[in-house]
Amino acid sequence: MAVLNAKNREIQCKIVYYGPGRSGKTTNLEFIHKNYTKQVAGKMISIDTHGDRTLFFDFLPLGLGKIKGCDIKAQLYTVPGQVQYRSTRELVLKGVDGIVFVADSLKVRREKNMLSLKDMHENLKKIGIDIRKIPLVFQYNKRDLEKQGFPLMPFEKMDHELNRQLRVPSFNASALTGESVGKTLSGIMKLTLQNLQKEFQWAQNR
Amino acid sequence: MRFDEKIKSLVKEAELYRSQGLLNEALDTYKKMQVLIESTQNVKNKETLLKKISNKVDALYHQMEEELSDIKPPEVSKDEQDAIENLIPKDDPEAKGSPEMAAALSLAKTGQFDQAIEKFTQLLSQDSLRFDAAKNIVWCWIQQKEVEKALGRVKQWMVGNVLSLDEVNGVRAYFEALVKELGLDAQISTVNIQKKLEPESEVEDQDILDINSTRFKLLRGSRKGEEVELEISFQAGKYLKMLVPKRDRQLIESVNVGDRFNGMQFYSPMAIFSGTGYVSSKVTISAGPKKGDYSLEIKILNIQT
Repeated sequence: MAVLNAKNREIQCKIVYYGPGRSGKTTNLEFIHKNYTKQVAGKMISIDTHGDRTLFFDFLPLGLGKIKGCDIKAQLYTVPGQVQYRSTRELVLKGVDGIVFVADSLKVRREKNMLSLKDMHENLKKIGIDIRKIPLVFQYNKRDLEKQGFPLMPFEKMDHELNRQLRVPSFNASALTGESVGKTLSGIMKLTLQNLQKEFQWAQNR
Repeated sequence: MRFDEKIKSLVKEAELYRSQGLLNEALDTYKKMQVLIESTQNVKNKETLLKKISNKVDALYHQMEEELSDIKPPEVSKDEQDAIENLIPKDDPEAKGSPEMAAALSLAKTGQFDQAIEKFTQLLSQDSLRFDAAKNIVWCWIQQKEVEKALGRVKQWMVGNVLSLDEVNGVRAYFEALVKELGLDAQISTVNIQKKLEPESEVEDQDILDINSTRFKLLRGSRKGEEVELEISFQAGKYLKMLVPKRDRQLIESVNVGDRFNGMQFYSPMAIFSGTGYVSSKVTISAGPKKGDYSLEIKILNIQT
């Protein structure tokens, strides 16, 4: 749940990067941390990574400037993708305002994407959030591997399989090269702020 | 595609999956190569190739085994702990509007048990959070399979003044259910946790007159030594219930479950008598017009004649 501090005119929202293990959620945050230095409002914290697996979560605070007189702050989180860390995913989702679902474009990960989306749906339901109502964007990651000749799923196919019913914005991206990492973040922030504006009516108070 | 090109492409693919940590996918690709090599005739260095693939497969299994092994929650830095503490928002129903409870729960759920227990222990002083804090302390110990430590804490509360009788009974039931659920109950089979909580009374219910009010001396706090008189709102034999308004916080904080008042005065319409009283319960009223006030229960242990 976003925090609106009316006195300081500050809005703080929580964005969660969700997706199967190894789909590139942490890489997204690392790219933002390295390349959006003006917006980064604190240290990036990666708790308990075992090798390059995220077992807990990553956290990155951002300051995104002012909109209609309000300071917009976002806290970016990732969830651990591995199946066995379901309770941690549920915990990280608490109070979420917007979600980036990072899907792996590799053909061999097709089923894992679908299972992870189902898992997210169930976890959201558990905490009383309707997947159709929460701001959500899809990111089809690892598109850079196409140039190296690896078998990837086409954008249209991924969008059809994952986004057919939800019909939310979706982006081809490469978190490793940074392609569309910013676009994805802007996409989710736009939806989240529109949603919060409806909820708080903050922009009209000015 | 020619055989050697096909093998090269599969090797590249398997290595990519391995480098991305997609171990199952890498394994499947190596197995596909094994089948392809075995089923193809006239392969140059066939045995050497199969041996190399077999080594790769073994290494993958080893890596997978390592990844599946139990990983203990890490020790976290101050910054990391701060980030964890913010995971659960304070408006989450579990946190009951308390940022401190939200932080403690976040720590507990991420396996930071020592820090969580420390925070829950601080919350034991807050009436509205005490019961949940106590249950969570038990939960933290049990998650670490420290049944004896959990039991030790429950026993401490059974004889101490921190929790009311109802609360301690609730925590004890929670502890028992938890150890049973996790199959740890065998570890406590020799421990008698059905310990009597209240001292026995020497008087029978029918021997006690209707009491209007009682007077006793406070044992602690800023008003230590002061005599207070409270009206009885309900009496069931030797059990007397009194209401203490929330504004009289100093008084309620001076009285704890388990306190024993010697020389208590009991005022009945027919007589005044003295005796010993035992504080058997102290709870916050959670609903109705008296919500927020306290209900204090004293058990008469003896009457001096």
